[in-house]
Amino acid sequence: MHEPMAELIVETSELRKSYDGVEALRGLDLQLPAGSICGFLGKNGAGKTTTIKILLGLAHPTSGVARVFGSAIDASARQRIGFVSEEKDLYGYMTVDDMIRFTAAFFPRWRADLQQRYVRKFDLPLMRKVKELSRGTRTKLALLLAFCRGAELLIFDEPTSGLDPAMANDVLQAIIGHVANEAMTVFFSSHQIAEVDQIADRVVIIDRGRSIVAGTLDDLREKFCRIEIVFGGEAPAVTFRAPGVLRTKRMGRVISVFSNAGADDIAAEASALGAVSVDVMPVTLKEIFLESVSEEE
Amino acid sequence: MLWYKSWLETRWRFIIGMALVLCSAAGTVITYPHIQQLIALTPTMDFSGPLGKEIREGIELARTFRGFVWSNWYHQNLPHLATLFAILLGTAGLLSESRGALFTLSLPVSRNRLLGVRAAAGLGELFVLTFVPSFLIPLFAPAIGESYSITSVIVHGLCAFIAASVFFAFALWLSTIWSDLWRPLLVALGVALVSPLAGFSKVISGETWFRSGQLPWGGLLASAAISAVLYSLAARNLTRRDF
Repeated sequence: MHEPMAELIVETSELRKSYDGVEALRGLDLQLPAGSICGFLGKNGAGKTTTIKILLGLAHPTSGVARVFGSAIDASARQRIGFVSEEKDLYGYMTVDDMIRFTAAFFPRWRADLQQRYVRKFDLPLMRKVKELSRGTRTKLALLLAFCRGAELLIFDEPTSGLDPAMANDVLQAIIGHVANEAMTVFFSSHQIAEVDQIADRVVIIDRGRSIVAGTLDDLREKFCRIEIVFGGEAPAVTFRAPGVLRTKRMGRVISVFSNAGADDIAAEASALGAVSVDVMPVTLKEIFLESVSEEE
Repeated sequence: MLWYKSWLETRWRFIIGMALVLCSAAGTVITYPHIQQLIALTPTMDFSGPLGKEIREGIELARTFRGFVWSNWYHQNLPHLATLFAILLGTAGLLSESRGALFTLSLPVSRNRLLGVRAAAGLGELFVLTFVPSFLIPLFAPAIGESYSITSVIVHGLCAFIAASVFFAFALWLSTIWSDLWRPLLVALGVALVSPLAGFSKVISGETWFRSGQLPWGGLLASAAISAVLYSLAARNLTRRDF
């Protein structure tokens, strides 16, 4: 029996974006079910920020479709979205208090209770100008402004970018704590795999403008594996026909196969080739990411 | 709150402009007795050539307080200051926000509304700059034994505001093309420098009102139309722009 399909909060189809002839997105397909915490992984320049900008209506797609809450993004949809940009762009000339009051005015569902809680928790200096804040404190203020909107979707672009490990951990804990208490969907880009592993339940890996891996972390861990096949003598130069073989490395007596469709078919093929042992090893998200985005040798 | 943000972003330009325009307007009245003393010396001077003709005309105008106010204030100082601050207020656009443009655009507000509020706030400040300081002239004039018509203050103020709005809209439009502050500023200032060649100074100074009591309707309507076109071009640029 199939699980009922959750409502899609974010959906893109064949999304393309070019800047002066350079393709930043090349047919990106993305689906983000309600209630998920999705880590959006990719190398620098893979198209993460461009995707986020299109989802927020800050950039226009060259072609394809991007839907948020089931329709094209517009000003009213942004009322349901909390956003923190990579640079934590805020108004330097405003005080923290001004910045909070300014933002609150645009959101009828503004959570004054959360505002008070996070001002205390983040120890925000209300009367200080935003331009005088450290990057860490500015990040915390940006989080407060996103959290208190009463948003159903939170979008973070590299939320811990430029922060020291302690501050980065504080920020991640704040996100985890907030999401644990409020029903919402989170979409955050990062190239910090440990971060994604820590808080996401779903992952999309983007490379050169295309989604190359997508699914829940549990599914990915189940499907992706490394199979170490040992032969009695020199390993044969073989191309496995089993589905899901992403990469094969041959080193002396050993062939290492990286697969995204389990190990059974490959193990059967290896046995038929005379392998003396076949070991199936689980892989980490880091390995999945690195194997997926690394160039073919 | 967008109004408040616009005010915070432009307040220093406005306050500095206001201080300069107020001082200049007050100076026009205060210096008039001294100018009258200088005029008494002019019959002994020789004026020839085109420059001499202009000086002679200036002297003739300065023989009356009304003429002096027009030539010194409405024909020279106010147009220069109004044009300069119209450009400075117009270049405070969304793209030139050193920080915060992405935050602004992520708010549940359309780009048209963002531009509309920015333009309305800037035009409001420009209106105050071009209109209010001139009221110092009829206010201070009795102190030097002169008087000045309130109607003329209103008419000249309107002419200065409507004509200077063209430069505001021009700077606003340029600031939707370039994301830095300097290019829109320099191009707009360059165009302002050559604008008298197109007869613009006659409109901004309300010359026909001063000379014949006629409003420069053609120039005012053309200015308003140009401003409207530039504003709609700016709105179109901003709507299409990627951030």
